[in-house]
Parts: sequence; structure tokens; C-alpha cells
Amino acid sequence: MKDIEQLVEMLAEDATPVRPAPHPFVLSLKWTGAATAYLAVTLAISGLRPDLMQKFHEPWFVAEIVSLLGIFAATSISAALLAFPDLHQKRTMAFAPVLAFALFLLVILCAWSADNPPAPLPVHSFECTLSITLVSLLPAVWTFYSMRRFASTHYHLAGGIALLSAFSVGALWLRLHEINDSILHLVQWHYLPMLVVGIIGLWLGKTVLKW
Amino acid sequence: MTDSSDELEALMRQSLAGDKSAYAVLLKETARLLRPFLSKNLSNSSEVDDVLQEVLISIHKARHTYDGNRPYKPWVYAIAKFRLQDHLRAHYADHLRHAVELSEVENILPEDVTESAISYESISGEIHKLPAKQATILQLMHQDGYTAKEVAQKLGMNESAVKVAAHRAYKVLREKLERS
Repeated sequence: MKDIEQLVEMLAEDATPVRPAPHPFVLSLKWTGAATAYLAVTLAISGLRPDLMQKFHEPWFVAEIVSLLGIFAATSISAALLAFPDLHQKRTMAFAPVLAFALFLLVILCAWSADNPPAPLPVHSFECTLSITLVSLLPAVWTFYSMRRFASTHYHLAGGIALLSAFSVGALWLRLHEINDSILHLVQWHYLPMLVVGIIGLWLGKTVLKW
Repeated sequence: MTDSSDELEALMRQSLAGDKSAYAVLLKETARLLRPFLSKNLSNSSEVDDVLQEVLISIHKARHTYDGNRPYKPWVYAIAKFRLQDHLRAHYADHLRHAVELSEVENILPEDVTESAISYESISGEIHKLPAKQATILQLMHQDGYTAKEVAQKLGMNESAVKVAAHRAYKVLREKLERS
């Protein structure tokens, strides 16, 4: 008990004015803004797919891009909330990525059934996963670095969601850059690796975000 | 005593502005608030004090994540729960590291180490020929009537070690008695 009193005195002595952390929505807006700028720059360097305007007339392509954007937005908000010890008391919103992923899965299943006759498989395979990973590195580092300044009490989940958010930027980039419409290839080399990325994120969260 | 959430939130806002005395009051009130919660989940008071100290330090480190505009208690309980889980995880991991493998003790489990058909007095001569520690253990258990746990406490040993030593002593005695 005496130790507690001494500790309280010591901590009180150290109480300098502190600027409160920004609201998680502001934080996620910052991350989203930075990621959008980064996506624009990478697309400007690598180039847009030549048939992009034509593709925007295909409903399942538009739905896929919109649901990917949904994953990006939901994971970004969720990661920002998970950076706070009490999830900023918006627990339900922190689990929004579940809904976004469910919607995405539904869109992919519909696009798959509409892919008749199936689009030809491209000759490359793992190169797509590698490219997405490389493009995702910078947003991942930025997000983790930013999250470390807060105090996550759900560091596993925060890490997984942050990495998924970064990976969705890479996935969006490749979808807008690469001329490829094989759903089978997309599922196998673009989207299934997201599961692995999520698991790596859980581990990374424990390593990087523990405080 | 400050019980209402509003008062705690006001204290936290003052603390964030650099008010040292408000911060001291807030931390004391927080400690008072969290002690029953931690006591419910931990076995002894020194453990409660240890975790409470960790929680207070964590509150200090994470105080910038509280903006003064939302309830204080959920924020502080989230940190307390987090540190408690951390402590329990480390505690059980430590216990697992020091646990005795079942295979190490299963050979003594069928043996009755506290009772014997032969009286202590009838074989006391043989007992005194045993190594000093084994002889003391048998004397305490069979002459003085202590349990293995009590002997362990008395000799500053582990209970399992007492049982193992007793088991070895019985084995030696049995062999000697069978030969004679």
C-alpha cells in the first residue's frame, strides 16, 4: 500500500501537460488520405490498365473495386479504433471489417459465377502476390509506426487489421494496373494471400504494438 | 472520496492540462476503484499490489489516449484488464515452466508414502543408517506424525522432493528387510 502511494506521488510529479491523441476517425482519415496519395503516385508511375474506362462499365468489376475500397476504409477505421485501449468505446465499429469482408466475398462469388465463359488464366502466378506485398510495404510501415504511438490492448487484432488495410491498398493498385480478368487467378494470387497476411499481422501486432 | 464518473473525468481533464495535485487524486481514486476488481482475480495481496502498480504506470503511459470527452471508467478498466491478463499469462507460463512432468512422479504415485505396515520403532535402527535427510524425513513422518507437506515446509523442501526421498528410503528399507 505504501508502495502504491509512493508510485502515485512519483507519477504525479511527472505529470506534464499532455496533448490528447487525435480522434480515431481523424487518425483513420489521415491514413486513408496518405494511402490514397500513395496509390495515386504508384499508379502514375506504373500506369493504369488501358481498358480501365471500359471495365468501369462492367458491374462486377465496379462492385469488386467498391468492396475492396470498403475493406480499405473499414480496416483503416478499425485499426485506428484498436490503437486505443478502450477502442474509443466504439466496439461495434471496430468489427466493421467482418461485414466488409463478407460483402467482398459475396461480390467475388457473384463475379465468379458471372465469369462465363471463364476469362483465360494469365501466364504469371505468384508475381502478383509479390507485387501486392511490395506495394503494401510502405503503407504497412506507416500504419504500424503510427499505431505504436498509441496504446493498443488488442495488439494481435490491431496488427492483423493494420496489415490487411495496407494489403488492400496493394490489391487495389494491382487491380487498377494489371490487365487480367481471370477470377480464379484473382482469388488464388490476389485475395487468398490476404488470409496469410492477416495471420502474419497477428504475430506482427504482438511484436510491434505490445507496450 | 470521488465516486462519480463525472468527477473522475474532470480530474483527468485537469491532469492532462498538467495539474499535478488533480492527477495524484485521480490515481489514488483509480487505485481504490481497481483494487476490488484485481483482488477478485488474484490470490494474494502482494500480487494485487504488483498488478495495481503496473496498471497505474500503464495509465500514466497511455493517458494521451484519453481525451476527457468519453467515460473514464471503461478506459481505465480496459487498461486494468489488459495488464491483468498479461500478468496471468506470465504467471501461468511460469508455472508451466516449473511444473514437474507426470512421468517423473508417476512411479511413486501408487506407493503409500505416509503409512507403513511396519512400525517406526521396530526398524529405527535401520532408519538411522539411512542418509541423514532421509532418516529425518521418516522420523518426522512416522514418529512425529507430520504429513509430507508439513515436512516439506519444516525442512524448506518441495513436497514432491520429500515424497521422492521417502520413497527411496522405503525402497532401501524394504530391500534390507527382505534380505534379513
